[in-house]
Amino acid sequence: MKYLFQILWKDQSRWHLLWAVLGTIAGFVLLLTGIHFYENMNQVLTENEDLLDPEYIIVNKEVGIGQTLGLGNGGFSEEEIAEISQQPFAEQVAPFISNEFPISAYTRSRQFPNFSTELFFEAVPDAFVDVKSDDWGWETGKDHIPVILPQDYLNLYNFGFSQSQGLPQIPKEMIGMLQFSVVLKGATEKATYPGRIIGFSNRINSILVPYDFLTWANEKFGYLEQPRPSRIILVSPDPTDPEIIRFIDEMGYDTIREKLKSSRLNIILKFVLSFLVLIAGIIIGLAFLIFLLSLQLMISRSAEKIRRLSKLGYHHSEISRPYIIVLFILLFIVTAIALAISAVISGKMAAMAAEWNMEVGASLSGTIYLVSIGLVIVLFVLNTFSIYLGTKKLCKE
Amino acid sequence: MTYRFEYLIPLPMKEVPTEGSQVWEAASASFSQENSYLVEAPSGRGKTSLLSIMYGLRKDYSGKLFINDRDSRGIRSPEWSAMRKTQLSYIFQGLELFDDMSAWDNIMLKNHITRHKTQQQIRNMAAQLNIEPFLQKHCGILSFGQRQRVAIIRALCQPFYFLFADECFSHIDKQNSAVAMDLIREECRAGGAGLVLTSLGNNGHDVDITLSL
Repeated sequence: MKYLFQILWKDQSRWHLLWAVLGTIAGFVLLLTGIHFYENMNQVLTENEDLLDPEYIIVNKEVGIGQTLGLGNGGFSEEEIAEISQQPFAEQVAPFISNEFPISAYTRSRQFPNFSTELFFEAVPDAFVDVKSDDWGWETGKDHIPVILPQDYLNLYNFGFSQSQGLPQIPKEMIGMLQFSVVLKGATEKATYPGRIIGFSNRINSILVPYDFLTWANEKFGYLEQPRPSRIILVSPDPTDPEIIRFIDEMGYDTIREKLKSSRLNIILKFVLSFLVLIAGIIIGLAFLIFLLSLQLMISRSAEKIRRLSKLGYHHSEISRPYIIVLFILLFIVTAIALAISAVISGKMAAMAAEWNMEVGASLSGTIYLVSIGLVIVLFVLNTFSIYLGTKKLCKE
Repeated sequence: MTYRFEYLIPLPMKEVPTEGSQVWEAASASFSQENSYLVEAPSGRGKTSLLSIMYGLRKDYSGKLFINDRDSRGIRSPEWSAMRKTQLSYIFQGLELFDDMSAWDNIMLKNHITRHKTQQQIRNMAAQLNIEPFLQKHCGILSFGQRQRVAIIRALCQPFYFLFADECFSHIDKQNSAVAMDLIREECRAGGAGLVLTSLGNNGHDVDITLSL
């Protein structure tokens, strides 16, 4: 064997093999760390106890021409609401209820100009409301109606309407001082209650009153046809679940996409990582090619020597042995170094993530070891075939 | 071991007239390991081709070749390789030495496969052929005659039933040729092996059978 090595291996230019080794290591590291991130990112993104609050998502049906023409009732049927409740991403579901009788409101005060308007109320169960106040809630005998307005309405007034009308801006804290009266106009009864704005919601874009109040009021004053709920609110423990967007789009519903941004982020991240793994695969493919060509080059350069050995009685399988041994050693080195570098990178990444209070595993998973060993075996087998074919061809000449 | 030819002729020689040839296109020609043969012919008559065919290097012939009554076309490359290690030895006209290795390593390359000869025996043979001082030198710097003698020694460093020697004395003087021939004949006698020698003309070599192509 030492003579074979002396004849075939000595005086050969070996630099191209070095490039093959470096290229394969780079490709391997990219691939393995890519897989490592993919596995860990899944964990990080779906862990939502620390990272993300359960998301409240408000879903409505898209308004179609049918509604404009007065045909059919837009709104969710009971079956549709049930179907939404059954989705794995929907932990809790509740429809909005709205007033079944006309409501109007007016103001009479010294500080502000008089104001009156027709009004609508909506309500959702208390658990869904993001404003916490002792004043919320309703019992018979309560002397005022607590109201929650969307933060957007205040902003619209302060930064839009008031400026253009020369009216004073109203700070949040002073809104409570605004006195207004609410007129509930039933078919036969009519009542007037003072209303009080007790807070602003960032979550629900509606004029909210307590659920108990609106159910009581609808029962007492309601006479209009009970409409189907035009909106529903649902709680999702994992708002990053891309299933949510897919379901909403498929059913023709609508929602404020901004709120599901992190789901998009998730998708984008997965896409980027997949792309990275693809690039890594390409690099490994190219490195494999360089290995292949390097070995073929060395064999070609030694053509005369190989033929001579064959004449002396060496079979091409024996002549292939030095090349295969070199290949084995190189691939072993590639795997060892690639795994070592990947482990170091993963460790550093885990340390960085820990600083940001994210739990990322530092050690490489079994999958990664399996993938690297599997890949290396494939590389070894393919290159060995190539060596055998190369020497066999020369020995036949 | 016996070779038997039936109407055998190398394909490139089909155009060449072969009346009177004792081998080419002969109804039957045979070589037995009990004999030593001298195949003499002028250039171009296929001396090297004959040996190459018997050694399995060339398969471009028509007719049949039987080795121990077995059609040689049925012999696959692993078997040829095995035969070349322990049954057939060859001294090539082109020598087929590795010029960037020493004479010693060239010989060892063959010897270490079967360890047929001891190091001392090899040195003795080298001394007999007057090339002992050159053993450690790279073959590339030796004269052709010196290299021929290295090739001869190498060919003797394995067991064989047949030794094929293709014009192996062409560059060796008469005295050393005689010594080399004695060495070869002694090896063949000791191993009960056959010798097939080719030469441009009869150089007075003492063989059992002379054949002309």
